[in-house]
Amino acid sequence: MPSTGSRQVLPLVGVLGAAVVVLAACGGAPPAPPAPAAPAAAPAAPDRTQMIDQAVAQYEDYVRQQVADTVAGTRVLTDAVRAGDLEAAKAAFAPSRVGWERIEPIAGLVEEIDGAVDARVDDFAGVEDPEFTGWHRIEYILWEQGQTAAAVPFADQLDADLQTLDQQIRTLRIPALDMARGSAELIEEVSQGKITGEEDRYSKTDLSDFQANIDGSVAVIGFLRPALQASRPAVLPAIDQGFADVDAGLASLRRPDGSFVPYCQENDEYPSPLCPAPTVTTQQVDTFKVQLAGLSEDVAMVPGVLGLQ
Amino acid sequence: MTSGDRGGLSRRRLFTTGAALGGGALLAGCASSSSGSAPGGGPADRVPFHGHTQTGITSLPVPASGLLASFTSLAPDRGALEEMLRELTDEIDGLMSGRPPRVRDPALPPEDSGLLGAEPPPDDLSIVVGVGASLFDHRYGLAALRPRELVTMPFLANDRLDPARSHGDVLVSVQARHPDTVVFALRQLMRRTRRTLTLRWVLDGFGRGSAPGESTTGSPRNLLGFIDGTANLTSSNAALMDRYVWVAAGDPEPAWTAGGSYLVVRVIRMFVEFWDRTPLAEQEALIGRHKLSGAPLGRASEIDEPDYRADPDGRITPLDAHIRLANPRTPETAGSLLLRRGFSYTRGFDGAGALDQGLAFVCYQRSLEAGFLAVQGRLDGEPLEEYVMAEGGGFFFALPGVRGPGDFLGQDLLRT
Repeated sequence: MPSTGSRQVLPLVGVLGAAVVVLAACGGAPPAPPAPAAPAAAPAAPDRTQMIDQAVAQYEDYVRQQVADTVAGTRVLTDAVRAGDLEAAKAAFAPSRVGWERIEPIAGLVEEIDGAVDARVDDFAGVEDPEFTGWHRIEYILWEQGQTAAAVPFADQLDADLQTLDQQIRTLRIPALDMARGSAELIEEVSQGKITGEEDRYSKTDLSDFQANIDGSVAVIGFLRPALQASRPAVLPAIDQGFADVDAGLASLRRPDGSFVPYCQENDEYPSPLCPAPTVTTQQVDTFKVQLAGLSEDVAMVPGVLGLQ
Repeated sequence: MTSGDRGGLSRRRLFTTGAALGGGALLAGCASSSSGSAPGGGPADRVPFHGHTQTGITSLPVPASGLLASFTSLAPDRGALEEMLRELTDEIDGLMSGRPPRVRDPALPPEDSGLLGAEPPPDDLSIVVGVGASLFDHRYGLAALRPRELVTMPFLANDRLDPARSHGDVLVSVQARHPDTVVFALRQLMRRTRRTLTLRWVLDGFGRGSAPGESTTGSPRNLLGFIDGTANLTSSNAALMDRYVWVAAGDPEPAWTAGGSYLVVRVIRMFVEFWDRTPLAEQEALIGRHKLSGAPLGRASEIDEPDYRADPDGRITPLDAHIRLANPRTPETAGSLLLRRGFSYTRGFDGAGALDQGLAFVCYQRSLEAGFLAVQGRLDGEPLEEYVMAEGGGFFFALPGVRGPGDFLGQDLLRT
């Protein structure tokens, strides 16, 4: 694996504040003739730079904790696989992914890890492709093949790959721009992969990943909140409301024990072993779509609002 | 209202009375151009946005590219619905009037996709918005204001409607000369409304049906190879539009509907390979027109009128030929005229390896029952059904126009 030490927090001086001016001009201003926009050269207030530095530091701690949780949670899954306990393995599958799904865009800073642990079968010639490894290979074996034995080598490899991630993440410096962008990428992840039910197609545990993606996005905004308050607080209410709306929708899909119902959409084929009947109405899915769409538009402004380029 | 006489456009008025009665022909019009003009060949222009009616319903020339996008509204309440319609109105106004995109700091996402460069060209772009019967359900307290004839499109003769490609709360129709203008407009509109509207189905296409001389692409042929739209209502004829297309203040309808129009979309799959294997004489008998010239059977020219009274037994034009059923040209059927504004589509192929092609039949009328439903009733069981099948679409109501700055689409509906 290549060193990630070259990834540095981007210098922010001179960029901060520029977006604020332009954004303000967008509200009800008369049409301006198209012209290359020159970034305003307002000097950044040093305290805002410090706010972002602090947010990055907090986020780096958060990411390390999530990876540690992933390693531990996955160990529950892989131990069950090795012990031949199919039901325990299935029960551990969704929880094992929560930490990972919360920080997925950042894990992309570690080369090749995503392809090793979280690729879907669509990236390969077929389910028997030896390169198809990680959670979804195990998911396929547990649910589609109904066994654990064939999953043992993949469980061992998943543990090893996550150990590597854990090692690398300890020294990873996360650029502020990647952090800010990651918040939006997590929403895009949900919009493109979770809402369709393609991520966890064998186990139907998509809603757990969905929640984890949202949690990860909320966390980024939380750490950046002081900097956003100082830059353009007006972006925050819509973002906060958007997260609250999505969380409320997700809460309605939890069972009494807190776990999620399987993700069974109305246009799936029925009945199937995991989906005797739809659990999520088209209306609920459509509502998520528009809520996520609004969040995407709002969160996409965050890097620019903070002057991160 | 948009008008018409743009440079180079020579619109024929040969059809003022008699020929205008041909509006009922659903699939095939006919005709070879008898004038030497290049139909709709003038430079592209801007279609004005404001008007008593939505201008894109009658704007001329009829541009070649079209797109229909049907949305589900997730607006939680009437206030959010109004906000969406205001956003939609403002974006359509900006697109049609050529308002240049505002420039943002490059650190932010650009406000505009840039598909058409810094100054989107006019391109005869127009956008029409309609609403489906479902918008008048319990959600927004609009039930009492539903246009009297607006219902969810039922299965009609020979239909196999796919629910995923049918109906919707809000229908947006985009038309322009070029497909990139259409795509640009769609993306801008969706960006403004994606907090409340989610796509239900989309269909795009080309070669829009129109009366002779009204299209930018000559007399367009449909994908059965027949010229389509010869007998269409002439949309520049305001008196005809008032009589057949616009809901008027005195009609038995909620007051807000005045200036609106019932909008029917029928996604009509054509089994083109099967059709292409059919003898020419049989094709012409099924349609009722000569294929190449577009003339009614037994006549010489596209713009000739068929004389069914002289052919009571169907020796020249079979009694069940498409155009004869659609528009028998009798006094009793003179009320069932439609303004058609459809286009051809092609979207890959089906599981059997057959091309998935057809006609997005789009028509506007003052009354669904007097218009489309009357025509459809006469076509029920026609022999052409062997070659075509409705797979989607819906009944909608095109909102009245936006009369001026500050007004918004659906204003009279929501402010009643």
